[in-house]
Amino acid sequence: MSAVTLILMVIALLGALVAVSVRDIVHAIFGLAGALLALAALFTTLGSPLVGAMEVLIYVGGISVAMIFAVMLSPHVGRDLRETPARRLGAALIASLLFAGAALAVLSGPAVPDTPEAAGAFDPALVGHALLGDWLLAFEVLSVVLLLAIMGAVIIATREPPAPADAAPAAEEARP
Amino acid sequence: MTPLTAFNLCALALFCMGLYGVLARKNLIAMLIGVELMLNAASLNALAWGRYGLVDPAHAAVSGQILVLFIIGLAAAEAAIALAIILAVHRHRHSVDVDDLDTLEG
Amino acid sequence: MVLDTPTLTRLALAALAAPLCAFAIAGLALRSRPRAAAALVIASGALTALATLAILALADAPIQQVWTWLRVGDTDLGFGVLLDPRSRLMGAVVGVITLLVQIYSTGYMAHDPGRTRFFALLALFEWAMLGFAYAPDLLQAFIFWELVGLASFFLIGFWYDRPEAIAAAKKAFIMTRVGDVAMLIGLVLLFALAGTLDIRESLDRLHSLLQGHGITSLQVEVAAALLFVGVVGKSAQFPLHTWLPDAMAGPTPVSALLHSATMVAAGVFLFARFEELFLLAPLTRSAALLLTAFTALLAALLASVQVDIKRVWAWSSISQLGTMLAGLAAGGLSSGLFHLTTHAAFKALLFLSAGALIHHYGTQDLRALGRAGARRDRLTMLGLLVGAAALAGIPGFAGFASKEAVLTAVHDVPGRAAATGFALLVIGAGFTAYYVGRVAFLLLRPTAAEPHEPTPPDAHGHPPTTAMSASILTLTLITLALAFAGPLVASLLGQPLPELALAHAVPGIAAVALGLAVAVFDFGRKSSAPPLFERVPALHGLLLRGFYVDAIYQRVFVGAARLCARALHFAETRLLDPAADGLARLTLAMGEGTARGQSGQLQRYIGVAALLLACVALWLGFAE
Repeated sequence: MSAVTLILMVIALLGALVAVSVRDIVHAIFGLAGALLALAALFTTLGSPLVGAMEVLIYVGGISVAMIFAVMLSPHVGRDLRETPARRLGAALIASLLFAGAALAVLSGPAVPDTPEAAGAFDPALVGHALLGDWLLAFEVLSVVLLLAIMGAVIIATREPPAPADAAPAAEEARP
Repeated sequence: MTPLTAFNLCALALFCMGLYGVLARKNLIAMLIGVELMLNAASLNALAWGRYGLVDPAHAAVSGQILVLFIIGLAAAEAAIALAIILAVHRHRHSVDVDDLDTLEG
Repeated sequence: MVLDTPTLTRLALAALAAPLCAFAIAGLALRSRPRAAAALVIASGALTALATLAILALADAPIQQVWTWLRVGDTDLGFGVLLDPRSRLMGAVVGVITLLVQIYSTGYMAHDPGRTRFFALLALFEWAMLGFAYAPDLLQAFIFWELVGLASFFLIGFWYDRPEAIAAAKKAFIMTRVGDVAMLIGLVLLFALAGTLDIRESLDRLHSLLQGHGITSLQVEVAAALLFVGVVGKSAQFPLHTWLPDAMAGPTPVSALLHSATMVAAGVFLFARFEELFLLAPLTRSAALLLTAFTALLAALLASVQVDIKRVWAWSSISQLGTMLAGLAAGGLSSGLFHLTTHAAFKALLFLSAGALIHHYGTQDLRALGRAGARRDRLTMLGLLVGAAALAGIPGFAGFASKEAVLTAVHDVPGRAAATGFALLVIGAGFTAYYVGRVAFLLLRPTAAEPHEPTPPDAHGHPPTTAMSASILTLTLITLALAFAGPLVASLLGQPLPELALAHAVPGIAAVALGLAVAVFDFGRKSSAPPLFERVPALHGLLLRGFYVDAIYQRVFVGAARLCARALHFAETRLLDPAADGLARLTLAMGEGTARGQSGQLQRYIGVAALLLACVALWLGFAE
């Protein structure tokens, strides 16, 4: 395992730490973007440049930007809500318990023998063939899911809130 | 420590950080960030197993990559809908505090 | 002249239908028109009286007409009329006495707001009693028997705003119910033995079965004994006698009716109706003879110390009913029923005269009535004295003839039990004469008021109205005439009255004379010496409290019932209620507890899920 990989891992973890802990949401999103970039690089080192590229395109370029747009739509959306220390502590406790348990399981589990890298295994062309071959049905279903998600997102986000029944006359009275 | 174990632990740490974000943060967008981190932890794990873990590397590698591609695709859909919901909630309730969304209280 | 069977049947049905219709119409349609209700009821009463008298006088062979209204298996449940000498006599007594009481009531109840209800209930009472008297069927007899009890319950508790009337009504109903349960069992047993509900046929079959050894004599004894318990309850014999003195809480006309022709007479009539059964059960008969003779004496003793005129007559009723039943138990059907007839007349007369005095002077206290000038109501006092003379058994009056007939019938029975019964009855007759003399002298020769006696309320009552006087006068004449009716009754019933031998009559007459003499000595002269029973204060107290029978019942039965009730109350409030409440509370708490977990806080749910996941992971980690 190369030093580059280790450094990338550290960067990803640091970015994630920033993403979940800083108060300012925009900073958190930037931390997330940093972590995602590091992860995309890690994917490439794992022999999957296609997936790394997709990660950058969709996550960093799409989702993170969409989040920033959402925050910028209204000053309230990105508001810091000041969690109590007890809340953070409880969450940290649960998360670290899970980490401890899973890490224990990973470390004490049977060692998986390191396999040599197969030639041409990580060729993007192979991925393309698999995607439109064995996985064609899943691929098409995913495309439908995405379409529906876009439509649903549009409907949810654009529907006006129902006016309260007693609010309208009160507003008219208030008007001079 | 084998590379696989290192990647596993890294993914686990990422996942737990995401979980922490989901559990600790009150802002819905911050919670969404935690969810994205958890998804990416899973992606990293899948790729690592595909690279190092399995007997038939040719198929395994492609399988891991395809799984991650699907994860990314679903994450895109999830993020779009989640953001739409957050905006709708904000418009209806004038709040993005998850503690205010307690209509399910028994 | 003798009427043919269909005419007699129609007459009997008319006699039954008239009071029922009057009851229904007066009770339902004439609630706000008391005069019309009274007129209707009296008209129905007159019709019934005429019909029953015609049936009594103008029939010869027994007639039985039954209509089946339900057939169960091989058994017909019938409704009909049985016109044999016994029921004809009883029916006529009921019809005439009820009519006179109804006429009397127009005066006595003239100012009562509930008099429509009163008259309607009188009609119901008459219908029930007549239905019982004419019943040819065990089931019909039992139904009307219970209706008699129901009607008397309503009438005793007529003034339902008076607690003592309510208590008396309940007591009468419940105590007679004790006897009725035994009687119902007896009737069922009788039905099981004979296999038919027809009374006369069942008695015939019983006779032949017993002779052919189809049934044992013990079975017959048990059935007879159970029926006799019913008689004891209905006719207020010891030990179920305490309800009758309390029953005078009802209006006086009701007492007159209740004590003479209806209700208590039903018990006696039941005995007479099943006379053949009792003749087959010598053991029961002896026991009944002893018990009723003992009751006659006991009640006569108790009557001797009462100061309430209605209570005196009430205890005297129990005593006279005992005498009648003793006569019947001795096998003297005609003596017993003759005494029932004369007693019905003179006891109704006594109660109606007493009622007239109470109505006039507003008190029931003998001494107060005397001081208030009861002797000035000449007609009423005449009636009362004639009735008293009849009750005391003074020769020449109705009671003398019938009582001597009973005494002779008892005397003629061989055996020690009958001899004891005879002695008890003779002593009872002596005390009867004593308390009758006491009442007469207290009313006629008032003594000066003693300081602790209650002063009578201001006389705001009315002298008896014409209707009341007419009733009293009629009853006086009937009572006088009945003294000579003995042979008629005997020939009607087909059993001659026993020969009145001097040897048998002497003890009775001597006892009466002695009783009267003591009464004269105690109350008839101007003397401050205390009367007989007051010289022994302990005995006096004992008698005033009726030998504590009521108190013992209160302690034993009411106390036990209360104890049971308390135990059940405890079980309910302390065990069952908390258990049920606890179950409900537990469910509620579980629901609330579960609901508390449902905080609606999204992150708490995720936290719990993650915690569980962490636990599983830890467990897996350590398990490796």
